[in-house]
Amino acid sequence: MKKIVTTSAITLVLLFAGSSLLAQKFEQPVLISSAGQSADVKLVKMLAQRQGLDATTILMAKPADLKGFKSLVIVPGFSSKGLGAAGVSQQEEYERVESLIKAANDLKIPIILMHIGGNARRKGQSDSFNQIVADNSKYMLVVRQGDEDGFFSAISKSKNIPLTLVDKIAETAEPLGNLFK
Amino acid sequence: MIRKHLSAIIITIITATLGVIASIDFARMHHPEELYPSSNLTGRVMLSDYFDGIKGTNGDTEVFLFDSGIEGGTALLCGGAHPNEAASFLSTVVILENLRVTCGRVIIIPRLNNSAFTCSDPMEGFPAFYELPTRNGTRKFRLGSRVTNPLHQWPDPLVFAQYPSNQQLSGFETRNINRAYPGKADGNLTQRVAYAIIQLIDKENVSIAFDIHESSPEVPIVNVIVYHEKYEEIAMGAVLGLEMAGLQFSPETSPKNFHGLSHREWGDYTNAIPFLMETSNPSMGRLRGETNVELVLKGYCDNYSKAKESGALRIAYREETGEPIEHRVGRHIMGIIELINSYNLYYPDKQIKIENLPDYDLIMEKGVGEFLNN
Repeated sequence: MKKIVTTSAITLVLLFAGSSLLAQKFEQPVLISSAGQSADVKLVKMLAQRQGLDATTILMAKPADLKGFKSLVIVPGFSSKGLGAAGVSQQEEYERVESLIKAANDLKIPIILMHIGGNARRKGQSDSFNQIVADNSKYMLVVRQGDEDGFFSAISKSKNIPLTLVDKIAETAEPLGNLFK
Repeated sequence: MIRKHLSAIIITIITATLGVIASIDFARMHHPEELYPSSNLTGRVMLSDYFDGIKGTNGDTEVFLFDSGIEGGTALLCGGAHPNEAASFLSTVVILENLRVTCGRVIIIPRLNNSAFTCSDPMEGFPAFYELPTRNGTRKFRLGSRVTNPLHQWPDPLVFAQYPSNQQLSGFETRNINRAYPGKADGNLTQRVAYAIIQLIDKENVSIAFDIHESSPEVPIVNVIVYHEKYEEIAMGAVLGLEMAGLQFSPETSPKNFHGLSHREWGDYTNAIPFLMETSNPSMGRLRGETNVELVLKGYCDNYSKAKESGALRIAYREETGEPIEHRVGRHIMGIIELINSYNLYYPDKQIKIENLPDYDLIMEKGVGEFLNN
């Protein structure tokens, strides 16, 4: 009996420790920005508001905008209309994202990737943005349709980045909120 | 003498007969098909009633009014801006023939560019007509052109300078109504029709306006809701609502510096909240195979399956089912319903309540024709 109790206690402690490691936590305030200027970032802004996060959204965030923030959420996905609205070329947008990521890494601000656009924000001109954000992220929250070909899963596995896959955009709200609790 | 010219006479008669048959067929494009509005219709006017500069022209078009008699907002639903986009026109026809409004008003224009219904795009091989089975037989509809009939507006300039932005586009776009807003009272026919739409929006104090479109599976702007930046919350709410209904729409912001489009100029020049929606239509794509009625209605094309498999492009195409007309019309109707629901949350004092429209699942199950009257 004593042996069973001891074994169970050790197992529970190990499980708790393991789950703590898996349940990565990030700090607020949060800067939300886009990579590719898709309007998906506006949806993430809405979801973050609904979760009561201390978050600021700057579509075209630059390295200087990181001041005062403790986490960076980047929503990748190419949109020609979005780039048109922002008045920048794809190359200029890529260079902005590259500099933002470099600055965040230098400042040790963790990057969270949120890919919510499914197929519509994959391949074509989207994947260069998806790749650079995923490669530099500390956590990935992805709507499953965007990972049908295993794009994010492969990066998660090769770089040991935690990945949460959900079926719907609305289902990203809770895991997003939990990252900061 | 007669024997000497017999072959010439026979060839002349055959040519003349073929010419008459072709002319009759061509002339049929100028006769609009009958529409059968629901019994809740309260008014039927012409677009020229809002701007007489298009009276008596092929640009004039029918405007259908549904007034609940209860004070609220006003929705404008426009189909047929590009009459080669079948689901655009058909979505408004299904709504027209079933709608009941219980708060506010709804205005429907099924043939926004009426002139473009009278021709088809040259060198594209589009069928001129298509038929749909209904509860009581079949209904025949025209499949028109992307742009105003060149017989009604000619010639095209080499370069089209959009009014009033002066943005330069290809000459062909001078006949594209979705590059013509806010229009011009003394401009060409397309500009005058666009001007008339703006007058209607102003005079009817339209609160929310829809411009319904389709596009090729391979273009980036497909299966989207394009919104004016002033009203992004309404679009985002609708995107989430549609997702809960199992329909994925991508939100897209209207670029501020791309002029002449409804989602830009209706928002800039009027008080209306504009939305433009696009579905994926393989019959419009550059990768399509044989272009026929089957492709327009069933939306199934092996070329797009292969293109999608290649992974070279992002293709908005469902390999198993294609993009049938039921799917495209269902998406548009659900998009309109969810955007109005989302609008109502933000404008509780100017509500618009609509009923009796088939939802996506019902249209997929029973077909579009089930919801057409005749």
